[in-house]
Amino acid sequence: MHFNLSEERQMLKDTIDRFLSDHYGKIKNHHENSKLIEGFNPKIWNESSSIGMISGLISPKYKGLGGTGEDIMIIFELIGKYLCVEPFLSTGVMSSTALSSCNINVEQLMDDIISGKKIISFAHSEVESRYDDSYVNVKATQRDDFWYINGTKSFVLNGDQASVLLVSARINGDTLDENGIGIFKINSKDYEIRPYNTIDGYRASEITFNNVTASLMCKDEIAYNCILETNYAAALAVSSEAIGIMQKCFDLTVDYLKTRTQFGKTIGSFQALQHRMVDLMIEIEQAKSSVMLAAGTYESEKNIKYRNVSAAKNLIGRVGKLVAEECIQLHGGIGMTWEYNLQNYAKRLIMIDHLMGDSDHHIEKFKKFSKY
Amino acid sequence: MDFNFTREENEFREEVINWLKENLPHNISEKVRSYKRLSKEDYEIFMKKLSQKGWLAINWPVEYGGTGWSTIQKHIFEEEIVKANAPRIVPFGLNMLGPVLIEYGSKKQKEFYLPRILSCEDWWAQGYSEPGSGSDLASLKTIAIDKGDHYLVNGQKTWTTLGHFANKIFCLVKTNSKCKPQEGISFLLIDIKSSGVEVKPIITLDGEHEVNEVWFTDVKVPKENLLGEENKGWTYAKYLLTHERTGIAGVPYSKSAIEHLKKISSTIYNNGIPLIKDPIFSSQIAELEIDINAMEIFNLRTVSAASEGKAPAMESSLLKIKGSIIRQKTCDLLRKAIGPMALPYISEQFDEGWNEEPIGPEYVGKIAKQYFINRKISIYGGSNEIQKNIVAKSAFKL
Ligand SMILES: Cc1cc2nc3c(=O)[nH]c(=O)nc-3n(C[C@H](O)[C@H](O)[C@H](O)COP(=O)(O)OP(=O)(O)OC[C@H]3O[C@@H](n4cnc5c(N)ncnc54)[C@H](O)[C@@H]3O)c2cc1C
Repeated sequence: MHFNLSEERQMLKDTIDRFLSDHYGKIKNHHENSKLIEGFNPKIWNESSSIGMISGLISPKYKGLGGTGEDIMIIFELIGKYLCVEPFLSTGVMSSTALSSCNINVEQLMDDIISGKKIISFAHSEVESRYDDSYVNVKATQRDDFWYINGTKSFVLNGDQASVLLVSARINGDTLDENGIGIFKINSKDYEIRPYNTIDGYRASEITFNNVTASLMCKDEIAYNCILETNYAAALAVSSEAIGIMQKCFDLTVDYLKTRTQFGKTIGSFQALQHRMVDLMIEIEQAKSSVMLAAGTYESEKNIKYRNVSAAKNLIGRVGKLVAEECIQLHGGIGMTWEYNLQNYAKRLIMIDHLMGDSDHHIEKFKKFSKY
Repeated sequence: MDFNFTREENEFREEVINWLKENLPHNISEKVRSYKRLSKEDYEIFMKKLSQKGWLAINWPVEYGGTGWSTIQKHIFEEEIVKANAPRIVPFGLNMLGPVLIEYGSKKQKEFYLPRILSCEDWWAQGYSEPGSGSDLASLKTIAIDKGDHYLVNGQKTWTTLGHFANKIFCLVKTNSKCKPQEGISFLLIDIKSSGVEVKPIITLDGEHEVNEVWFTDVKVPKENLLGEENKGWTYAKYLLTHERTGIAGVPYSKSAIEHLKKISSTIYNNGIPLIKDPIFSSQIAELEIDINAMEIFNLRTVSAASEGKAPAMESSLLKIKGSIIRQKTCDLLRKAIGPMALPYISEQFDEGWNEEPIGPEYVGKIAKQYFINRKISIYGGSNEIQKNIVAKSAFKL
């Protein structure tokens, strides 16, 4: 056993760190991102492709340069550190995982993802689906060799910029059945779309399909597995992102405690606050360890992989809330302001618990995969 | 001990409910319910109605226009106005300055200012905190120099809640820098419309404008606007901060929030089961409800003792700490209950007249926002850490 990154991975990490620092170092306040028309900066997205940041998320099987749990962890921790809003999650992780789990030839689409040419969104959640992997109410019907999709998908990340959508739709069975789901590809823009910013400064959309033609990628067991794989890859990605964010919140707070004076001393000299920071430090180390375990066992058999990602996502939910709330509290009034960057980090950290299953959802999954 | 309300108390509750039905305008309660941005007029319309009824200054002595209600009556009243989705009664004039004026103001000041608070002619803001002086309030730097018939005020206040609606602000200012900080502070009543006063917005993490910076540049304040004696301001400030307030724990808000939480938890499904039946989630709701029930009694126990003449300073710190944590927990569980529906943030949704389709049920739009802004409850009015210092000092005599 050892816990070091290989030389190659360390290099990838340093390159990405420099790249993001160049671009994001200039941004004083991350809420500026949400004002961009695309919801992210297309220039950063394109350049990230040329330094290998997208291909780092994709397996050599598809001409990528990475795609392991460790790669996802390294890249997303940095995404968290800089609160980078480009479509690494929607396209780089979710759609690439979905495509690679369909058991069909997807080389062209993978090429387009790696080159940064196409934004592809995975549209699975529905307004009432909560975190249920099998909840699919949007319907797919077949007439003369063509498939038609009807219904509404919700919270589709980067859906407004996507040129291709991967949509889960029900071919038969009831809303919560694991069987009877199909994954469909939609190339047209023949749907109604309602984009909005999320409270943490990302872009998502509600998308309504009215007899939209689609092509079937996979169905039934393969399709359900595709959804699970995608959601778990995303859960690992956002858990890793949370680690980068927590570290940043922690650092901002330590700096503040060292500079803010009240009662003639820095507030960091009050032991009550020192202890609070030490508690955070312990919890962040715990969360980090749990994410490392999940990343390092990501290539194991499914029960182990899912069990460890669920463990990490549960812990991230708990620790993330603690870190966000404590860091705001220890800043006092300043922590409540729009202009101070902490709020962007704290908001994202909290909202990560609303993506890909919250801490309660993953404790259930953990029990299931641990055969409790 | 008797945990039942008396017949008179129940009748009083009925009276309050009926009065609210007839007097709280529907469009205003609708705005509060759906978390729309409230205008100054929205607050004033409701407060003026209360004033006409004689129910506005519930904590003032009867001779100044108070109600003479018992603590239980006040509790019932506060609970019902929250349940009815009334705008909150803006506390700065009524619950902060009012009691200080009554205790320490001159006859002339009382006669002038108290009726103007009751009639809503004056909207007061609280000018305590400064950029460099939050928890350590006594270190404040805004300075007032004696110029014979007036003071010349220079400096900056911050975090001034609803200062942009106010026409008056009560401020702590330095009148003597050559002594212990606490002994050189005075309490000034300042007209915000005076020349040299500038109010600038601070936007909070929920994207809203509720707090402000207030700048003072060579502002002339007539001597008659000094409250009490020069350099005695700290005594008045402390009186204001520790003045008995039945509302400090925010119990009515927590009670109304948990009702809402239980209601929506029976309509939101997790794996085909409503959340209120979900073993993990329903246990969290139940724990919170147990906390709130206990808090309600803790609160009533404390304020009843206060009305029998015991000093509630330490207990009110305990109530503020636990009350704020519980209120924040209600926001936390509401946020968790709605899952991914907490993500969309449509700012226009909170403007009057917005009539697009919401995403998900109408109530979800405000929940994440409320969670984030309510982090303030454990910061303002003396942070929970400062409250703990107060308790430790007075309880353990360290
Ligand atoms: C939304 C909002 C509305 C407000 N409205 C008003 C208003 O209308 N009028 C007004 O005058 N003020 C108002 N305030 C200001 C509020 O009272 C202050 O924010 C509060 O007193 C804390 O001061 P600070 O923000 O300067 O934090 P600081 O005092 O800098 O504190 C930072 C952190 O250090 C901790 N700390 C400080 N000293 C100690 C110690 N000795 N031991 C342990 N921990 C310590 C604090 O608890 C906090 O966690 C408002 C604040 C907010 C956020």
